[in-house]
Amino acid sequence: MNSQSQRRKNFKIEAFKHKVELDPKYAERTWKVLEHAIHEIYNNNASRLSFEELYRSAYNMVLHKYGDKLYTGLVATMTSHLNKIAKSIESAQGGLFLEKLNHKWADHNKALQMIRDILMYMDRSYVPTSHKTPVHELGLNLWRDHIIHSTNIQARLQDTLLDLIQRERTGDVINRGLMRNITKMLMDLGSSVYQDDFEKPFLDVSASFYSGESQQFIVCCDCGSYLKKAERRLNEEMERVSHYLDAKTEVKITSVVEREMIANHMQRLVHMDNSGLVNMLMDDKYDDLSRMYSLFKRVPEGLSTIRDVMTSYLRERGRVLVTDTERLKDPVEFVQCLLNEKDKHDKIISTAFNNDKTFQNALNSSFEYFINLNNRSPEFISLYLDDKLRKGLKGASEEEVEVVLDKVMMLFRYLQEKDVFEKYYKQHLAKRLLSGKTVSDDAERSMIVKLKTECGYQFTSKLEGMFTDMKTSEDTMLDFYAKQSAELGDGPTLAVQILTTGSWPTQPTAACNLPPEILTVCEKFRTYYLGTHSGRRLTWQTNMGTADIKATFGKGHKHELNVSTYQMCVLMLFNSADGLTYREIEQATEIPALDLKRCLQSLACVKGKNVLRKEPMSKDISEEDVFYFNDKFTSKFVKVKIGTVVAQKESEPEKQETRQRVEEDRKPQIEAAIVRIMKSRRVLDHNSIVAEVTKQLQLRFLPNPVVIKKRIESLIEREFLERDKADRKLYRYLA
Amino acid sequence: MASRDRVRFNVGGQLFETTSTTLANAGRESMLGALLDESWNPGQPEYFIDRNPACFSTLLDLLRTGALHIPSNVPEKLLYREALYYGLLDHVRGAKWGPFDGNTLRLADSVPGRAPGDGTAIRAAPDGGCCVAHGSMVHVYNWMLEERRPISLDYQQVNDVGYIDANSIVITARERLGKGDGGMAVFSAATGELRHRFRVEHGRQPKSFTAGALSLACPDDHHIFSSCKGRLNEYGIGVWDHNTGQQVDFFYEHPGCSLGDADKLQWLPSKNCLMVATLFPRTDNCFIGLLDFRDKSIPWCWSDAGITVNLEDKRVLHAIAMEDGHSICVINQYDDLGFIDLRAGNTNSAGTGVRWSSRSKLMNQKVPYEESCYPKLATHNGQLFSCMNDSISVFSGSEHVLTSTLRRSYGGSICDFSIGGDRLFALHNEENVFDVWESPPCPII
Repeated sequence: MNSQSQRRKNFKIEAFKHKVELDPKYAERTWKVLEHAIHEIYNNNASRLSFEELYRSAYNMVLHKYGDKLYTGLVATMTSHLNKIAKSIESAQGGLFLEKLNHKWADHNKALQMIRDILMYMDRSYVPTSHKTPVHELGLNLWRDHIIHSTNIQARLQDTLLDLIQRERTGDVINRGLMRNITKMLMDLGSSVYQDDFEKPFLDVSASFYSGESQQFIVCCDCGSYLKKAERRLNEEMERVSHYLDAKTEVKITSVVEREMIANHMQRLVHMDNSGLVNMLMDDKYDDLSRMYSLFKRVPEGLSTIRDVMTSYLRERGRVLVTDTERLKDPVEFVQCLLNEKDKHDKIISTAFNNDKTFQNALNSSFEYFINLNNRSPEFISLYLDDKLRKGLKGASEEEVEVVLDKVMMLFRYLQEKDVFEKYYKQHLAKRLLSGKTVSDDAERSMIVKLKTECGYQFTSKLEGMFTDMKTSEDTMLDFYAKQSAELGDGPTLAVQILTTGSWPTQPTAACNLPPEILTVCEKFRTYYLGTHSGRRLTWQTNMGTADIKATFGKGHKHELNVSTYQMCVLMLFNSADGLTYREIEQATEIPALDLKRCLQSLACVKGKNVLRKEPMSKDISEEDVFYFNDKFTSKFVKVKIGTVVAQKESEPEKQETRQRVEEDRKPQIEAAIVRIMKSRRVLDHNSIVAEVTKQLQLRFLPNPVVIKKRIESLIEREFLERDKADRKLYRYLA
Repeated sequence: MASRDRVRFNVGGQLFETTSTTLANAGRESMLGALLDESWNPGQPEYFIDRNPACFSTLLDLLRTGALHIPSNVPEKLLYREALYYGLLDHVRGAKWGPFDGNTLRLADSVPGRAPGDGTAIRAAPDGGCCVAHGSMVHVYNWMLEERRPISLDYQQVNDVGYIDANSIVITARERLGKGDGGMAVFSAATGELRHRFRVEHGRQPKSFTAGALSLACPDDHHIFSSCKGRLNEYGIGVWDHNTGQQVDFFYEHPGCSLGDADKLQWLPSKNCLMVATLFPRTDNCFIGLLDFRDKSIPWCWSDAGITVNLEDKRVLHAIAMEDGHSICVINQYDDLGFIDLRAGNTNSAGTGVRWSSRSKLMNQKVPYEESCYPKLATHNGQLFSCMNDSISVFSGSEHVLTSTLRRSYGGSICDFSIGGDRLFALHNEENVFDVWESPPCPII
């Protein structure tokens, strides 16, 4: 009233007020109504409240600028309720504590929802403009500050939760639903509350628990059962997370278990006596290996630990295998052993190690390492194939053949000296073809195709040439007999195989003296062949032929003898003589001494096939021996095959010879590589040349740097290259 | 079942009957949603609401049909107030105008201002509101076009404004000599309060600077770019993170390309580059370049230095990168559009790279009168917009065919326009008026 009279004195014209200020008493009264409603909501007495009236009251307070009063009143009322709730939770005894907390939390949430409904208008207009916390968030913050972080609850809550988990770990059954609600509450209060008040201590306690447990297990368990226990613990923790923890905790708790139970004991586990990795590999413990793989995979360096141990084990085992002199006696068994070894470990990798590429690589590199420790491996692999292609694959289906060939190819890939293999393979193939011993043409061709895919056209062109020669020879012989049959009469039948020089591993040998009957036919064939092909030269390779001869022994026993050409020559001599000395035979046939001895050995010294009799009786042939036609020879077979005593494996001098030939063959290849490289690079230093040559040739063999150096020197002599005048380490290409 | 679904209201004495299905359209976060929630003893025969029945009727109709029809006897502002009471304001806004299409725009409103000088810039807010910069003031309007509290950066000359989100406005202002003011800051759109001031640091020393053109990067990396002029070496483009408020980068001006005076900045997400255009009349020669902040390089630039000799020549007066990021569209003083291909390597050589498309419109156009403004360009959803004198042209399709012209009879030439929140705002040079253009909601049939 007073102010009004003053204004009148000043004759001031007052602007018309649009908004009529709300009576402060009315604001107080309205707040009291709302405060009462909040009390009733907390006391579960909301059924008598009118939402519309309360909403309108809150609206009016905000509209008339009493938002501040409303908000501070709300904070004070909620705080006093929460303090009361805190008291009641604190008073809960023992196990009821969590139940009470959960119960009150549910009540608070429900109340908060209703309070927010009433104050929705405030939330929408007053809160954003005055930068206040929205009602729902405010309710959660107050709960956090006055309940969860109150001194009497915070530590007790944490201890209770950790204790329950500990009890569950030791086998008790706990109320997982309640745990779920409480952890959910902590997450609702913000991820930092969940982390600080629960997750961090949980991880710490877990770490010390598993550290202790793993110490205990490692002392009293073998590797396999330790891993089983670790796996079970890991699964338990993951299950725990899925039941009542935040999904984000899974990575953290599993990494704790992984660290404490696996990473910290990795070395001890793999090397455990009598049950470690090596034992598992030896005994094909697929389950244990698979468990170790999946557990170790989870920790850093885990798989490499397994891989390293496996590699050194494989190398050692392989080294023993390939250097075992007992094994070297039988090449076929030697290679079969390697294949079995490969199969065994392939199966381990595929069943237990998830076909892990890095493990396959480790296996391959180990094989590569030890196969090349023995320089006879290329020969043995070829011999193994020879054995399989001669008889081993008889009756096998096409698929089975393929499987065997593929496996051998796998070993072939490990070889560094592929050219040595080629050399042997050619020799063995030649023998198979000429003696007609191959089981199946398809299998032979399939092998050639595989080698071609692996090493290229160059590698197999000569091998393929051998097949072509065989085919051409067959046609030639048909033609020969068609045209000449009239002249030939009923002399011995001749089958000639015309071998292209270069394609076959032939050695220039002094031709032996053939029996006159044979010589006549041979001459006829020569005339025929040179008549149809001009400009060719025929050389008889008597060391490689075979013959079927009919022989009549005492009491009229008739036998058909399958012998080599040399043997045939020897036997034919006995048509006109009953006994001959070694010297006489040698003179008559002119067969090289070594071959003659072998051939006589097989005719006279093999039990059951001794068509000749030797005096004196002994195993070896000496130059003073005398040979007689063995009249008493009998056999239950009409056809008798007299094999040559051939060393399956090469003898030491032969081996040297082959090696020398390989070395000779390598020279032009190395030189060609050097020239190719220098042609494109013009100038290069010594070490780079060696590196590039090695790279170019490694598909065929591993060239020796010393040999490369010699080849470079030879090329310099022949003026393909020159040394740089300033820098002696540099070479220049001379065009 | 049917009767249980039925809900009766007595609003200010008038009876309404509807279904809970219809009311469910209001959502749980509305007053009606809470009223029917099971925590508040629902199932009463009738709910009383002490509010205006006419507005309730309109809003109930909105919930039933999704369309807004305001009867002539209901003032719009009253309806908005009631919608706010029920928590249905977002529903109303969503139904008031349709999805933006430059070819269906209708003039929805003209809002007069009271600023003393020429307008500087107008910007559309993401929610349909806008702000207008006049001299040293920025007037802010919500989507109902009610004016909020104006904002200013110490009453400095405002150079540019932009919305970070519907509730945050960033302002760049000129520095007054000798005072550490000017620069760049974020304000609350609702209250006009200063939230944060961005600093430029040079050699770890905060520097006073003039901030010019603004650009926001794509929403996910929170970067703001602004051209900056300090008194020492702080010429160039500054980059700030608007979440942390900290300066994160600075691109110092290279010789021969003026960045500190740039008229237009635009972030090109497809190129991971910022387009900077410095144009006539601020500089004599136009410079357009793409800045790569990762290695501080300018992978592409264009300039007309050397080809414009007198004022009659075609001059690039505004530039905008097209939405596909393949070309830049430019405009000259005759309202001709031109395109520069961004893929054609560096076209630094004498600005020959512009493909001008002369428009027949130019022939019968009246000579620009004295109070003309420089033309501006904008793009939206594949359409291209240009303002010249008192009209805005809309170009559609990949060939940019002129399809619509927006013109109004008063207010003089348009000095700036902006598209956002499905609305187009055009600020006129005279009478401080700005127009609001909307695409009407789709017709029922």
